[in-house]
Amino acid sequence: MSALSRDAIRTMMAEVLQAQSKTLPADDSANLEEIGFRSLDFSELALRVEDEIGQELNFDAPELRQIATVSDVLDFLEQLQAA
Amino acid sequence: MSAVVGGAGNRVVARGFDGTWDELEPFELPGPSAVLVRDHLEAVRAVRAAALTGTEVLLASRGRITPDLEDELSDMGLFVLDGDRVRPPAERRPSTPGRVWLLTSGSTGRPKRVAHTLESLTTVSGDQPARTWLCPYAHGAYAWWQVVTLGLSNPGQGVLFVEPDELETWPARAAEVGVTAASGTPTFWRQALYRDPESVAALALEQVTLGGEPVDQTILDRLRDLFPSARVSWIYASSEAGATIAVHDGRAGFPSAWLGREAAGRATLAVEDGELLISSPKRGEGIDAVLRTGDRVEVVEDRVLITGRMASDEINVGGAKASASTVRDVLQSHPAVGWAAVRGRKAPIVGSIVTADVVLTSPATQADLTAWCAERLPDYSVPRRIRFLDEIPIKETLKSDV
Repeated sequence: MSALSRDAIRTMMAEVLQAQSKTLPADDSANLEEIGFRSLDFSELALRVEDEIGQELNFDAPELRQIATVSDVLDFLEQLQAA
Repeated sequence: MSAVVGGAGNRVVARGFDGTWDELEPFELPGPSAVLVRDHLEAVRAVRAAALTGTEVLLASRGRITPDLEDELSDMGLFVLDGDRVRPPAERRPSTPGRVWLLTSGSTGRPKRVAHTLESLTTVSGDQPARTWLCPYAHGAYAWWQVVTLGLSNPGQGVLFVEPDELETWPARAAEVGVTAASGTPTFWRQALYRDPESVAALALEQVTLGGEPVDQTILDRLRDLFPSARVSWIYASSEAGATIAVHDGRAGFPSAWLGREAAGRATLAVEDGELLISSPKRGEGIDAVLRTGDRVEVVEDRVLITGRMASDEINVGGAKASASTVRDVLQSHPAVGWAAVRGRKAPIVGSIVTADVVLTSPATQADLTAWCAERLPDYSVPRRIRFLDEIPIKETLKSDV
């Protein structure tokens, strides 16, 4: 299966937040802490992506970096799919 | 042997047979034997032969015996009987009178062999109300032997055996035969209530027994509602420990007052580091006098609850410990959930997250179940991925496949 688009990942991220009764703001520079997107949510999002593309993401591949904003999450997952 | 076959006039119903133990076609055991059985009828014929002659025997479903395992049985000095095929033992030896070998149901690795006798497997004796039992257990399993020895040794105890491929239709068969008592794992009962609750409820059951897996309050309550006049019991038993705990009060777990109690003929129970320890007179030979069961228990008020296995119950979510069995019980207490299995799934950052497989009995969404769990569990224990299955997966042991 082909990689997911940034928009598709963003939709999934909104779904993860919605399940926690939270909302994904329109602005991708929003701070994760402020919108209540935690490490557990990130893990869930990663598994949703894995399920959708039908393969495991290799988290060892890309450099570790700070993930502080919505944009960071989307960048990171996009990059992981390419790895 | 006469006490062991005291029920020889009892009714036995299996595919292709409806008669008494005495009317079963004779089965020849050439010496100590491992019988690779195709069905219950072949199995009970072999049991009768072993009981009448005292010949050493091991019974197992044919599909369980791999070539390696067959070699080991031969090396133990057993004939291997596989239909018309008779493989002589590697080295002939006399039979150990009354010896019965069980294979453990171990879900991982090679099954171990545990030595019993017909007497040690006969756990119910004395005057029993006349009943016709349903036996859905796998050929040769400990629970199977319990029902078989009950039928073989106690007058008035008939047995209807159900083959694995009859598990979906057993209620109709049980109604035809007049079953009044049924024994199965909690997974067996959940599956039955999920598939065809009306047919199950129509049975005139006086005794409902659960065993083989931890029992939660929800399934006990559902069975009690369905059979208000029946005795609902759960039995703690294993090949190694034997049958050691029998609870009839309709509540999950057993009274904490039973811990440390010593009485002749009864098992002594203890909890150490959260694990159930059992010292049982019905244990298999060579089994530790004080057996570490590997079952995780929790003392809650006046009850000791069995919550799962020591090693496999814990899911490490970012350093927090989620209990798979606790999450499963919460899911199964949701009115729309007929069955749930919970496990950890490898996940980035937090190491693993809690996921669940669920079978619904009425409509519900993932959001409904997530909200239900979130009200009752810490956030790290709330399943993040829920997969809805069409039916309950079940193994030959009748235990859920987890």
